[in-house]
Amino acid sequence: MKRLVKTVAVSAALLAGVALAGSAVSISNAEAGELNLLTWEGYSEPIITQKFQDETGCKISLTYVGSNDEFPAKLAGGSSIYDMVSPSIDTTGILAKMGVIEPIPIDILGDNWLDIYEDFRTHPSITGDEGWMPPEGYLWAVPYAWGSINWMYRADKFDTPPDSIDLLWNPEYAGKLSLWDDKTNIYAVARYLYGTDINVYDLNDEQLAEVRDKLIEAKPQLRKYWATAGELIDLYAKGEVWFSNSWGGYQSAILQEQGIPVVEFMPKEKADGWQDAWQIVKGTENMDCALKYAAYSISPYAQCQMAINVGWSAANAEAVKECLSKEQFDALHQGDFIYLDNLDFWQEPVRVDKMIQTWNAVKAAQ
Amino acid sequence: MSQSRRRLFGFAALFAGPAVWWGTVLLAPYAIMFMISFYSKQFPFMIPDFQFGNYIHLVSDPQYYLVLSRSLKIAFFVSVVAFFLSYPLTYFMVFKVKSPRVRLLLYVATIIPLWVSYLLRAYTWKTILGTEGILNSFLIWIGIVDEPIQLFLYNQFAMVITMAYIFTPFMVMPIYAALEKIPRSLLEASKDLGIGKFGTFFRITLPLTIPGILAGFTFTFCLAAGDFISPQLVGGPYSNMIANVVATQYGIANDWPMGSALSMVMLFIVLGIITLSDKFERIGRLNLG
Repeated sequence: MKRLVKTVAVSAALLAGVALAGSAVSISNAEAGELNLLTWEGYSEPIITQKFQDETGCKISLTYVGSNDEFPAKLAGGSSIYDMVSPSIDTTGILAKMGVIEPIPIDILGDNWLDIYEDFRTHPSITGDEGWMPPEGYLWAVPYAWGSINWMYRADKFDTPPDSIDLLWNPEYAGKLSLWDDKTNIYAVARYLYGTDINVYDLNDEQLAEVRDKLIEAKPQLRKYWATAGELIDLYAKGEVWFSNSWGGYQSAILQEQGIPVVEFMPKEKADGWQDAWQIVKGTENMDCALKYAAYSISPYAQCQMAINVGWSAANAEAVKECLSKEQFDALHQGDFIYLDNLDFWQEPVRVDKMIQTWNAVKAAQ
Repeated sequence: MSQSRRRLFGFAALFAGPAVWWGTVLLAPYAIMFMISFYSKQFPFMIPDFQFGNYIHLVSDPQYYLVLSRSLKIAFFVSVVAFFLSYPLTYFMVFKVKSPRVRLLLYVATIIPLWVSYLLRAYTWKTILGTEGILNSFLIWIGIVDEPIQLFLYNQFAMVITMAYIFTPFMVMPIYAALEKIPRSLLEASKDLGIGKFGTFFRITLPLTIPGILAGFTFTFCLAAGDFISPQLVGGPYSNMIANVVATQYGIANDWPMGSALSMVMLFIVLGIITLSDKFERIGRLNLG
């Protein structure tokens, strides 16, 4: 009998241990006033959010993504560990249709709302569209930042500065180039193949196959696909890569600070443009903090901190007029939202899954 | 309470925990995965269904076959490299090192990297193999090359080197156990009968360590075939492995049915390898009989 008691006691202790560990985890998750943001590098760094955290007591923790396609995939798990997400607005519609984001009442945004570029503020991805309209007086997303997928090169490695992405197929640069690990490479190559007027968001099967083959042809020139901003910075800094696409304004600024002579440019094939906005995850337990952060993100203070220190162009151009010098203001193209004729702003592709499949086929290819 | 009922109760009490654990975190997820692999897909949703579309797609689209065969090829090379590094080292430890304390020290030194984060160890190889890395700097310094060699990093070579380094302990441990178990009397008998060193090695030592080698091969092969970190860190544009494709199906493409189908295929390949190595081991035993 003694042995039996012992066995039971040991088993009970083991089970209790497991249960205890489980509950400890859930306690830390439920802690009030903590915002888990799923976002891009540089978006909610302490330099931008410290004031918010001090004033509201809402603690911010960050998880980074490297691609817009991660947002639907991460939220599809039905996990509510994230409170807010900041995808580009070509992804907002997908999230809204999936029912994983929460409409945001316009009135909490205050006066700052009307200072946001009108084109951005009234975009169907922000205000909703047929079949996925938010209730009257609500939005799907709060515009935060915008920019380009510019191209970048090491100034000391090119006698004549590149003006086209045709370098991708130049064997002279074998193993010296890099591309973002993202479906959007399809857009750039589609414009290269079919001209800049093509609607890259609605390519047919034949076009997708041609773009795929063209991207596979570029592989010998590639050193590596870059997956995060930090990775691309590292590749340039270590002398591995001389030419790539980039998140306009961000990696180049950090590299220049490190003394690496990189130059950003817009190729004659033009470049993608992106507009990012904050969205609130459905079922968040921190709605109060999330709404406060949505309002804070477009305040002049937050927009200025971001534009000055991180280098993304601000959604609230009125706000950054005050804090940016004339040069900074022009460098971020804040005067001419959509410098514009040249940027092909991302839209939700007609067949997102086909796009992703095509890109995966490129990566798998021999 | 009768003796047998008491025993039954004790048995239940002891194993209820592990059984619940095994059922909920191992068996149930596999069952769910198996089920989802037959679902159909309407981006961004999956639809409960029973159809073989995912498996048909797997076979008809060459990208999956390509990545799968690449994974198996790389896993094979990793295992071979790990074997040729591990066997002489382990042989030296067991037969040549006289002091048990030194032997223990060497053994611990071999497996201690397992206590260091995988990521950290893979990153270290980036620093060594890079264009401006330690190896290239050294080669230029001693004058063997003028220009840094690009071929060290961001390709399958770098992946094989990194994984062979990382998984070597899994080869060393079973081989060490097998070598240590060999009765010295067998080796002495062989010597007494006039068999030379090589003959003794190839006719006694090596055959007796085959179970250890097989275990080591199985470990290393399966770990390497399912690896997705080294392709990301030290691999290049031609380095996508099956685990990366699975991760992409879940994390990017939002295509759980396809990800599940791929995982099932991978699961059966691994089970096949384990069965095969078990078979080989039995044959080995019989021959020695």
